Amino acid sequence: MSGVTGPAAANSSMNRRALAALFVRLGAFAAIGIILLYFAIYARGFTSSYNLQNVVEQSVILTMLAYGMTVVFIGTGTDVQQGGVDLSVAANAGLAGAVFVTLLNLGLPEPLAILAAIFSGMAMGLLNGIAVVLFRIIPLLATLAVMNIATGLELTITGNNVVGASSEFLTMLQFGRFLGISALAWVLIVFTIFVTILVHYSPFGVRLYAVGGFPEAARAAGLNVGFNIYFSYIFSGLCAGIAAVLIVSRLSASTLGTGLHLLPVLAAALLGTVFSRRFVPTIGGTLIASLFVGFLANGFQLLGISSYWVSGVQGALILLVVALTSFAKPAEGG
Amino acid sequence: MRLKFLTKMLVATSVLMATTALSYAQELSLKGKTVGVTVVGTSHHWDLQAYKGQLDELKRLGAEVIALDAGRNDQTQVNQIQTLIAQKPDAIIQQLGNIKVLDPWLKKIRDAGIPLFTVDTITPHSVNNTTSNNYGIGSDLALQMVDDMGGKGKVLVFNGFYSVPVCKIRYDQLKYVMSNFSGIELIEPELKDVAPNTVQQAFADVTDMLTKFGKDSGLKAVWSCWDRPSVGATQAIEKAGRMEVRTYGIDGSPDYVEMVANPNSAAGAVAAQQPYEIGKGAAQNVAKFLNGQQVAPITFVSSLMITKANAAEVAKDFLPKK
Repeated sequence: MSGVTGPAAANSSMNRRALAALFVRLGAFAAIGIILLYFAIYARGFTSSYNLQNVVEQSVILTMLAYGMTVVFIGTGTDVQQGGVDLSVAANAGLAGAVFVTLLNLGLPEPLAILAAIFSGMAMGLLNGIAVVLFRIIPLLATLAVMNIATGLELTITGNNVVGASSEFLTMLQFGRFLGISALAWVLIVFTIFVTILVHYSPFGVRLYAVGGFPEAARAAGLNVGFNIYFSYIFSGLCAGIAAVLIVSRLSASTLGTGLHLLPVLAAALLGTVFSRRFVPTIGGTLIASLFVGFLANGFQLLGISSYWVSGVQGALILLVVALTSFAKPAEGG
Repeated sequence: MRLKFLTKMLVATSVLMATTALSYAQELSLKGKTVGVTVVGTSHHWDLQAYKGQLDELKRLGAEVIALDAGRNDQTQVNQIQTLIAQKPDAIIQQLGNIKVLDPWLKKIRDAGIPLFTVDTITPHSVNNTTSNNYGIGSDLALQMVDDMGGKGKVLVFNGFYSVPVCKIRYDQLKYVMSNFSGIELIEPELKDVAPNTVQQAFADVTDMLTKFGKDSGLKAVWSCWDRPSVGATQAIEKAGRMEVRTYGIDGSPDYVEMVANPNSAAGAVAAQQPYEIGKGAAQNVAKFLNGQQVAPITFVSSLMITKANAAEVAKDFLPKK
């Protein structure tokens, strides 16, 4: 170790980390740019407006779920390795979809069925909160258990069957357009505005970041840490509930396999942290990352590369992002 | 004079036939055409063979192929269909999948003016469906099972994929045949086969059911609309030493055909299809259509019932390639 100590050494260390952080952030933008450029040159029809709209549409469900994960990251620990996580968010959407379709087929009015789906999602979020706050189970394990509960309930409700559903509203969501933009994309736009205001431009959002980033300090300042953690998981459940309705509209049914969204959701939410100055989760970062994951899948399809590779790349992205951010992230409070 | 006339006629006919054959071969070219292929998955023998049959034939005919495998994920297949439509190919072939999920998107293909061809999928939106005669397969296998059971006993039924059209037909045929045999009971609730982990799950489910339905229960058969669950069921029966129970399945995957051909195995019979030929047939139908020829709405490719009794003679081509 060098014998240099004091403010000068600390400043030098901070500068190095800030430089590394800048390098990682610019590197991420450059890497995305190069990959997209490669697709634009070699993937047939990649840049056609119809294809670009498709990718946005195909990324809506992923982005909605990734927003849920992002809010959990923000409210339960901006350090993605040691903070909270919601591994149940995708399975939760599967369960909410099953609830929605089953109630719809039982003759419940559609608005009530939608509310029930959203309520189901939020209830599973509450369960996550109880497990983490009340029972003090580590989030990784707690949400893994809730993921299994959600999957089990989904299987029980649907009997492991594909349960179809149709309505004018679902068809409108599936194929409807307004001002040349698809209904799904509109849902994403409106929800993005709402969640951006909530997280980045409201006092509540500031408190959420404070609780997630510095729980002890937040507690000392009189903030209710437990409440914010509950809120994060319940909000994630809300995202799962809304995503469930979108999934059902897109597939005209509740089908098993919604839980498979977990890997891309995790990849998008983690990758999103790279786009912020201090490597913290942000809504904008998650939006960019989700769209990138969507473009990646689309580009691979157009290049004729097996969809199995997409999963591999998403897994590699998670490793890469976590490794890079832990290397380049400024020390907490520094 | 007469001989000369006959010779002339023969020559003329030969020339005509050769010209027709040549023009037929020329007509079936897909040079300059782009064909999209979307399959729900290729993780099973049937799926992979049918997929390869399409790709090989399309490429042989000169088409540029955009082939997309959804990895058994409905959401991915929907995304891929949307992507294919954006590519505006000359035709799209779609293979298997949940019809409830796919049908609105298959309609989108038709609405986009792209001729749709299906493999094992019945939909009003396709020009042609190339498939086995699943009505015949379903009833033949059910009757074979009735015969082996001596007309009485209980049957465990896997019915997890009723939303897949070919499974629906086979299952409905099973029910129809069984409605005529009052001595046979289909056990309720039915078992649900899953994908992936089909074999392992079927092994676990059948092991449990063998415990529930002991030797004196009258359980004699396990039926499935494909043969992946049948493999797990056969292994479970053999492990439990319950050789009075036989398994029945459809597709003709080499590992299951080998079980049927083995006199010491619990596998009873399998309706073996020719997936590669089915895929190839679909590609040829695309070629015919794009060359202005008439294409019938359904093309049946023959299948073969392999039983314990006839396996020694007929199973050879379906066994694993050593």
